[in-house]
Amino acid sequence: MALTHADALYNLARWLVRDPDQAEELVQETYARALGAAHQFEAGSNLKAWLLRILRNTYLDERRRLRPEAADPDDVDAPSPATSGAAAADESQSAQIRALVADEVATAVAALPEGWRTAILLDLEGLSEAEMASVLGCAEGTVKSRLARARAALRERLAAHRP
Amino acid sequence: MDCNRARELTLDFLRGTLPAGPAEEMRAHLAGCAACRAHLEAERALGEVLAAKLPRHEAPPALRRRLAADWPGAARARPVGRVRGFAVAATLAVVLAAAVGGTTAVVVEGRAQTRAVATEALNDHLRVLEGAPLAEVRGGLHEVKPWFGGRLDFAPALAFAGNADFPLQGGAVEPFLDRRAAIFVFKRRLHTATLFVVMADGLAFPRHLTTRTVRGFNLFLWRAGEQGYVLASDLSLPELGTLQKLIAAP
Repeated sequence: MALTHADALYNLARWLVRDPDQAEELVQETYARALGAAHQFEAGSNLKAWLLRILRNTYLDERRRLRPEAADPDDVDAPSPATSGAAAADESQSAQIRALVADEVATAVAALPEGWRTAILLDLEGLSEAEMASVLGCAEGTVKSRLARARAALRERLAAHRP
Repeated sequence: MDCNRARELTLDFLRGTLPAGPAEEMRAHLAGCAACRAHLEAERALGEVLAAKLPRHEAPPALRRRLAADWPGAARARPVGRVRGFAVAATLAVVLAAAVGGTTAVVVEGRAQTRAVATEALNDHLRVLEGAPLAEVRGGLHEVKPWFGGRLDFAPALAFAGNADFPLQGGAVEPFLDRRAAIFVFKRRLHTATLFVVMADGLAFPRHLTTRTVRGFNLFLWRAGEQGYVLASDLSLPELGTLQKLIAAP
């Protein structure tokens, strides 16, 4: 059953570390940690969310180990000038977004700060806000605002894209 | 409702998860506010583009093999033949659930027989997710339904042929407890929903539409005429409920 979520885990891993080999190592480490912490899994809760949380925490641990000076580089919940301007959506924005090809969408997602990128991906995986909060280690209310900021930033990037 | 509040609720509104009252207020606000309409359309476009165009990286087969080898019960998890592969996949699912949960975690409440129906459906759904070639015929309803002829002793009653939100992927016939079930596989973004249709006689299908959550998966069970239906997915209850309504519509 846990292997059912291998695609979801590998996908998030690829969006976190980019390199395919490193992503595989991250997923394997995640399963090893999950097996060691099996007693902490609450029966009836979402196994996929639990595994994704372990994967992201494993990634953050590794990042802190390799770059201790950049322990918390993404303060994604603070207002930023780039996105606090209410993301003036006009009628042309949706047409511009729809016209993009897969590579352009991927580039824009990859350029987001990790906390925003992860929020976008967890949302795509169909996790509820409560489940996303458990993966991201934040309050449910924070998930809502983080997802809104992430989407606003992404819309701006996509709408501003010029091939 | 002011524009700030409307922006906050846009995503919930698009996903159909707003309660009736706020949804009505939202519609009223949108009717008179071009800026919020544009915002809503941009959010809708973003959602569609992400779902349709953002690449999803699938776990490479070699990684899957390594993961399977590292997990308990892996020695029994080598599918040999196709039919045996189904049984082994189900065994593996139970073994892994036990390994992860410390128990097979029966969280379904209610009558044991209804539980048996739900559990059987969930195990079959997991086999679909594990990539077992359950969807033996691919295509729309006009291709799937005739395929069942001769493989089942009843004609599954299903009018919903899938739509843009829930495209029909294919169908299959599988053993279901003591009989055979028609299986229809629908997609929703990255999710799979499996519908089982069986002759309900002798099975404990609840009289009214019933939901169950088993091992993190959501299920709807209902009965229409002589046939029983189970819809299983990791979709949220509201989204799965939307599909259930489409399927059960007269």
